[in-house]
Amino acid sequence: MTYGGLRVLGAGVLAMLCAWAGARIYMNWHARSTTDLSVPAGIASPATPADEAAEARFAALPRIPDQLPQFTLNSLQGQATPISAWAGRPLVINFWATWCAPCRREIPLLNSLAGEWASQDEVAVIGIAVDHRDQVSQFAAQVKISYPLLIGEQDALDVAAKFGLDSPAFPFTVFTDRRGEVVALFVGELHRRQADLIMSVVRNLDKGSLKLVEARRQIAQGLDALAEKS
Amino acid sequence: MKLTTFLLLAAAAAAFAAPAWGRPWWMRGTDSNETDFLPPDVAFRTGATLEGQAVRVRWVIADGYYLYKDKIEVRAESPDLEVGPPELPSGVMKSDPFLGRQEIYTQQVEARVPFTRGDYGAHPLQIKVTYQGCAEGGLCYPPITKVLYPAAKLPEAAVNPPRRWELLAIIGGLLTFLAAGYVLRRERKLPLPAR
Repeated sequence: MTYGGLRVLGAGVLAMLCAWAGARIYMNWHARSTTDLSVPAGIASPATPADEAAEARFAALPRIPDQLPQFTLNSLQGQATPISAWAGRPLVINFWATWCAPCRREIPLLNSLAGEWASQDEVAVIGIAVDHRDQVSQFAAQVKISYPLLIGEQDALDVAAKFGLDSPAFPFTVFTDRRGEVVALFVGELHRRQADLIMSVVRNLDKGSLKLVEARRQIAQGLDALAEKS
Repeated sequence: MKLTTFLLLAAAAAAFAAPAWGRPWWMRGTDSNETDFLPPDVAFRTGATLEGQAVRVRWVIADGYYLYKDKIEVRAESPDLEVGPPELPSGVMKSDPFLGRQEIYTQQVEARVPFTRGDYGAHPLQIKVTYQGCAEGGLCYPPITKVLYPAAKLPEAAVNPPRRWELLAIIGGLLTFLAAGYVLRRERKLPLPAR
């Protein structure tokens, strides 16, 4: 085919491509402007996939307090217990619920951390069950939990809000150093490698070789590196 | 850049622009790792439509998240409204060593909820839905309760424009090209390709 013929053929292909692209643009615009894609009308809290980019950083919580907030919740035996009862010790505070499968999966790990870290670093592991008392009692009778439990419903949710989580999901775990500085707030199921990483930074903080800002940065970088490896 | 090259690139970009996602398909999922979770209203989007004497409640579930079948509840919210139990499709069985076998939904699920109303339409129809789900990455959301206002269903053509538009545009483009060529040839403004 000659050069002129190729030009005519190319122009024809281009005309068809432009027409097709025009139709695609129209169809995309039509789909976006008529409805919220696959979710029907009547939405109480409309959200589109485009919101995801803005809202996705659920774990990057901007309002994590620097100091452990003070609160009091009832123990499993019904005794009002202030968190200051463990003052002067590094804390691992685990928020959980009996209906939450990943929370249940964490319990063996927390049991072993409570044993190992209590002897090494005087760490206190505390579970805060955001749940009905009878369900927690029933669960605790079946499953061995070797660390102290605090229980609450709305009052426990209020405590969660003090850590910057207004509508919390479970589990999440707060790590503090001896001075009560909130070093990390880990949202989701905690695994051994993540717990060890955070605790190693808490130890350095307690030794005075780190500032809180640097400790948080090291933890964030370390967790990112672990996530990339897995 | 030549105009022809630009037009070809623009056409290719438009053809691959997916209407259902805010970002291109090759970037989906890159935000997710073990510590990034979606807020509950983004992980589980819900809405309801009215269809005769039933309400259809749909949940659109983000990738990597799931809803428990036995935690889905629908109750009447407006006065003089009675709703039947939601008719739900079979889910996927998920085995959990701590919770046992659970029936779950991923991607999306739709419940048909029959209703009767004794107010002759005096009140706007409102239902209250409760549902609970988790992320595969190891996070569970507390039960979520929302009041929905079922709306009449949009006609299918309004939601998905028929694909014949695409074909019509291609044929139209081809015919326009041939017609333009014919007109220009008649006016002798377009020389035939050299033999």
